Amino acid sequence: MISTKVEFYQGTKGPLFRIIRTPEKVLAHLIFIAPLFEQANQTRHHITRSAINAYQQGLQSFVFDHYGTGDSGGELTEANLALWQQDILLQLADIAAHSTQAIYLSLPLSAVLLLSNEILRQVDGVLLQQPDFNGKRFVQQFKRLALAAQLTKNNSTESDDFKHGELSEQPLIDIAGYQMQPSLLDALAGQNLNKLADFHIDCYWFEWQSPSEELSLSRLKQQQGVEHKNSKLRVEQVDDVKFWQSTELQIAQAFLRKELRVFSKLAFPQSNSAKLLSSKTETN
Amino acid sequence: MTSAQAHEQTLEQKNKQTTAQLIKLLIAIIPNYDDDFWHAETELFGAIAEFDSMALVTLIGEMEDYFDITLDDDDISAENFASVASLTELVLERN
Repeated sequence: MISTKVEFYQGTKGPLFRIIRTPEKVLAHLIFIAPLFEQANQTRHHITRSAINAYQQGLQSFVFDHYGTGDSGGELTEANLALWQQDILLQLADIAAHSTQAIYLSLPLSAVLLLSNEILRQVDGVLLQQPDFNGKRFVQQFKRLALAAQLTKNNSTESDDFKHGELSEQPLIDIAGYQMQPSLLDALAGQNLNKLADFHIDCYWFEWQSPSEELSLSRLKQQQGVEHKNSKLRVEQVDDVKFWQSTELQIAQAFLRKELRVFSKLAFPQSNSAKLLSSKTETN
Repeated sequence: MTSAQAHEQTLEQKNKQTTAQLIKLLIAIIPNYDDDFWHAETELFGAIAEFDSMALVTLIGEMEDYFDITLDDDDISAENFASVASLTELVLERN
């Protein structure tokens, strides 16, 4: 029986929907940072599995929705990047106030765009899943959704999927049903690896890559960028389905197995320190 | 073999490789069809229900990543995404 607590945590601006799974003996803490917009929906089923796996390894897991998203309070129109970052810091401070155990962050896909130097200073390690540190490209892809939706609707005029509207005095942007302040997208577009200082904490990078294929140039550049900033980077190649891209619900079992091994290292870091030093890159 | 023939053969090979890779990307995004469903003439936009705006944008991202190309917003058209063959043409043009 999993000990699960569902709550509304008081965030910086309003309540955050949170699911906490607490093992009998907490060996470390792990906060799952949801990726942005549609990616949150595409990864939710997987994050639940990961959170349960983490719990079973003795990690207290926190899954929450950002302010203005999912089941949390507020509207997306009221959200901004600084607020989301502040909410993460608040939770980190709360955990640290009651525990001396290590705190880790799990960051799938665009969730890394929420990272700041301050956040990285408060944690013992990060688990990155196919991270995309290129905020400009992420926003470009998001905006393309509106163009693609126009195409699929065969609508040559302005569609419901991309419009600028007026609410109070603030001009809003609406992409594929996500209505927000343009400043939120601007802030996200401004996020990139160069904004982060060196962070020499545990850093696991899960990269989806078939053994028969070379890493694309853009992915390689991002990995090298992190390698320059983090001396503990450990890349784990994952030969599995990119579950977040699929039009069908899929589970990446090979990824979950690899992630489970990492969870066990986080729970018992001392016994694995020798192994950590022995090999920097682990493949399937 | 003349140099023109050799050149044509190289182009044909590149075309085949690009098509094969595009099919791999498509299968990853739309996994609910048998492998033999996919070939150069498979129609996409407007023909496959699962090929919606999300799938289309995901495919664009994967194409840019894998082929190391940059697509313009103008490239997002019904013509370019009509079939695997038209996509192959687009990639080869941008490469």
